[in-house]
Amino acid sequence: MTTDYSSVTNVAHDKSQFRDGVEAHLEARNLHVWFGERHVINNVSLEFPENSVTALIGPSGCGKSTFIRTLNRMHELIPNAGLAGEVLFKGENVYGPNIDPVNVRLNIGMVFQKPNPFPTMTIRGNVLSGLRLSGRHSRNEDELVEQALTRASLWNEVKDRLGAPAGSLSGGQQQRLCIARSLALSPSVLLMDEPCSALDPGSTIRIEETISEISQSMTIVIVTHNMQQAQRVSNQTAFFLAEDNNPGYVVEFGETNQIFRTPRDRRTEDYVAGRFG
Amino acid sequence: MLVDGDKITRVDLFASKSRRGDRVFFGFAKAAAYFAFSLVFLVFIFLSWRSASTFKEQGFSFVTGSTWDQATNTFQIMPMLVGSLVLVVLALIVAVPSSIAVAYFIEFMAPARIARWATNVVDLLAALPSIVIALWGAFVFTPVAASWGRLLNQYFGSIPFFKNEVDNYYRSPFIGGWILAIMMIPIITSVSREVISRVDKELVNASYALGATRFSAMRRVILPTARGGILGGILLGIGRGLGETIAILYTINLIFHVNIVRILENRGGAVAPMIASYYGEAESKAISALLAAGVVLFGATLIVNMFATYIVQRSEKKMAS
Amino acid sequence: MTILETAEFGPVARPAEATPWRNRSTSTLTSIGLASVLPVVLAFLIAMHFAMPGATALVAVFVPLQLIAAGTAATFVGGRRGIPDAILTVFVLVLVLLVAVVLGSVLLNLIRKGIHALSIQFLFYDSTYVTSATSLDYGGVFHAIIGTLIVVGIAALVTIPLGIGVGVFLTETRSPMRGPVRFITQSMTGLPSIVSGLFIYAFFVLSGFSKQVGWLASAALLLLMLPTVARLSEEVLKLVPQDLRSAAMALGAPRNKAFFQVILPAARSGIITAILLGLARIVGETAPLLMTTIPGDATNYKPFSGLMSTLPTYIYKWVSAGSEIAVQRAWGAALVLLILVGIIFTLARIFGKQKF
Repeated sequence: MTTDYSSVTNVAHDKSQFRDGVEAHLEARNLHVWFGERHVINNVSLEFPENSVTALIGPSGCGKSTFIRTLNRMHELIPNAGLAGEVLFKGENVYGPNIDPVNVRLNIGMVFQKPNPFPTMTIRGNVLSGLRLSGRHSRNEDELVEQALTRASLWNEVKDRLGAPAGSLSGGQQQRLCIARSLALSPSVLLMDEPCSALDPGSTIRIEETISEISQSMTIVIVTHNMQQAQRVSNQTAFFLAEDNNPGYVVEFGETNQIFRTPRDRRTEDYVAGRFG
Repeated sequence: MLVDGDKITRVDLFASKSRRGDRVFFGFAKAAAYFAFSLVFLVFIFLSWRSASTFKEQGFSFVTGSTWDQATNTFQIMPMLVGSLVLVVLALIVAVPSSIAVAYFIEFMAPARIARWATNVVDLLAALPSIVIALWGAFVFTPVAASWGRLLNQYFGSIPFFKNEVDNYYRSPFIGGWILAIMMIPIITSVSREVISRVDKELVNASYALGATRFSAMRRVILPTARGGILGGILLGIGRGLGETIAILYTINLIFHVNIVRILENRGGAVAPMIASYYGEAESKAISALLAAGVVLFGATLIVNMFATYIVQRSEKKMAS
Repeated sequence: MTILETAEFGPVARPAEATPWRNRSTSTLTSIGLASVLPVVLAFLIAMHFAMPGATALVAVFVPLQLIAAGTAATFVGGRRGIPDAILTVFVLVLVLLVAVVLGSVLLNLIRKGIHALSIQFLFYDSTYVTSATSLDYGGVFHAIIGTLIVVGIAALVTIPLGIGVGVFLTETRSPMRGPVRFITQSMTGLPSIVSGLFIYAFFVLSGFSKQVGWLASAALLLLMLPTVARLSEEVLKLVPQDLRSAAMALGAPRNKAFFQVILPAARSGIITAILLGLARIVGETAPLLMTTIPGDATNYKPFSGLMSTLPTYIYKWVSAGSEIAVQRAWGAALVLLILVGIIFTLARIFGKQKF
């Protein structure tokens, strides 16, 4: 099983890639992931600077979704999950002993591929559901609901029917509701797992606009299959790959423009040119 | 490849043979379906017709009176109706939390192997014949439950529920309630588990991603979403509880005196065991009264079951959308 | 916490410690350990000291102690937020334990009390000349076993084609009656067994058409088995992929042949499971048998005449006899009944797992 890995350079630790003086807000170090005995993510190290957008691209099945689930400690909910390495949030390892995963998730939110608003709750209830589920209270709930929905670009469309069931919204609206739901918790990081892949192009554009806006005050990591989307919204891009039955790893990581226009690795070049994937 | 000399019989386009086969086949299927469909009505109408004289003679007091006397031709079953309800309520107090707990345990707490084993165990409980549970209830459980009754009376005897003027704790509705709970738990658990497992895993993931704890996810997401199905399961359990005969016959005394509150005393009632118990010595008018009781019982369980079916079907449709 | 520094580019074997979320500080571990052990020990000691019966100790002492302990331990892990979780966990585990204890008690007692009576002779001799005082070395349940097999067998023989027929109607036709038939049949699963017995009794015996004989019991059981078999057949037949039907029809098969030669074999294991589950339900029914048959002591192979004993009515009869030996016979018969149900159930599981 000989594969040519000679062109892989461990780009992640080259800090000159990033804007000067910006510290890594969220960082994965030497991360390995197993499902049972199967090794699925191999020694990934990535840094996500504060208030930037990082896109994770790569063919399906190479571990991108699994990877982001290690960042907010959702991975451990899967039976037989295994992990080695560290995930540092503001310098602190989120997998440290006695760190409450609930606290991690309140700081690092997640939006899923298929919009999943809670069907038994109203629109307003959905926005507040994060607070209720974690047992927190807000002094002014109405203000919070309005803020969250505005940031998610949904306020104008639903402000007259906050009491309507969440199921009455279209797919794109539901996804923005899910974004509002996560934003209501004021996380510092928002993880997005292919948030637009189940939506129509119109909704996709709205959500990309939302991402641009909120990225001014939070760090965003977005998994996407859509390379044009990656180029549109992200500052950095990481290219994941998994060959044959081998675990996934990061081939190249750098500024988005550089990855797409002048990729350093032959495989990255092949992928962004559409020769495979 | 066909060679000269091969003879394949051409099928005339209008050959009737296959159409006949299909007619018989679907004819039988239709007959079976209509037979099954009409059974409910057949049973109900026939029993009502056969017991019409009772309803005419006893009038409304059939269900509001408390006397059963063959000599004076008075047949009134209210204590039995009330008794059935009391038993079902007592059973639900125990059965509902236990069933939901077991269902939650299997779906969200237990590791895969234990979960599968527990599911099999619950199905096994459901398969236990009621006479086996009746035997166990009469000979093994009754002394234990009677001692609990005595203890309850000792410490909480001031509350009307736990008073006992007779100092006999055997064959009380309290004991019957426990036995009925044991019979209802498998059904409620089974349906609840099925419904809880159908809650979209993405919803549960979403709630954890929002910082939910086990308890808050259960309370605010899982239970509300599965509520309809669980209710349907409870109703199915109630249906079974109303119809249970032998297990109740072996564990409580059937007394024609309405007893709602004194559950520790040895007098209770239930319609199904009453029918089984009095049928031996009944002659014509009494038999008609027993049939009438059967009509009432059937009517009640039909309503409960139809409601349950409706709710379960509706909640399944909602979750699929 | 292991950091694998040397990255190999092929798959790496999972190290022994790969679940960092399970690491806890010593204080947390101690509190969890104490919370698991202390309440049990304390409750035990208190119960001993005050000579409390088991159930009281459980409810009044152990559960509150365990709740407090679990809640305290939870605060080490998750702060105040963790307390409802701890309470939920304790309640769930306690209730699950209780259900397990009940089931265990039923099975254990059944085996313990029934095994006395069980013997080769018990299985192969009937109760002719046996009284409530006859020693357990004589007599048995053979007639009851035969009776059960005959009564249940006849019921099954008639119910199976009918039930599958209903399933066919619900899945293979486009009749507008499908909705009502499905609804009514599903509601019929709740028919109280005593009402079924009452109906058959009134319909056939009171009208003078027949005496109380074996086949009446089969009729009563049919009413109970049919809805279950019909409903489960429908579900199983619905699962057969439409492509199979289309393929059969494209080959020119008439619908009935398509059904028997393609669809039914594809659904075979599911149908068998449906039948077995329907059987398991009726094998243990007592009430309808009490009203439609009269149990006897001799073996009777004729369903149309004579006294017909079945396992449930045998149990009922001998419990009513009252003597200790009679009750032991009843327990023995109950054990035989349980074994029979167990066999049917295991067969249902085996067939349920097979894919054709």
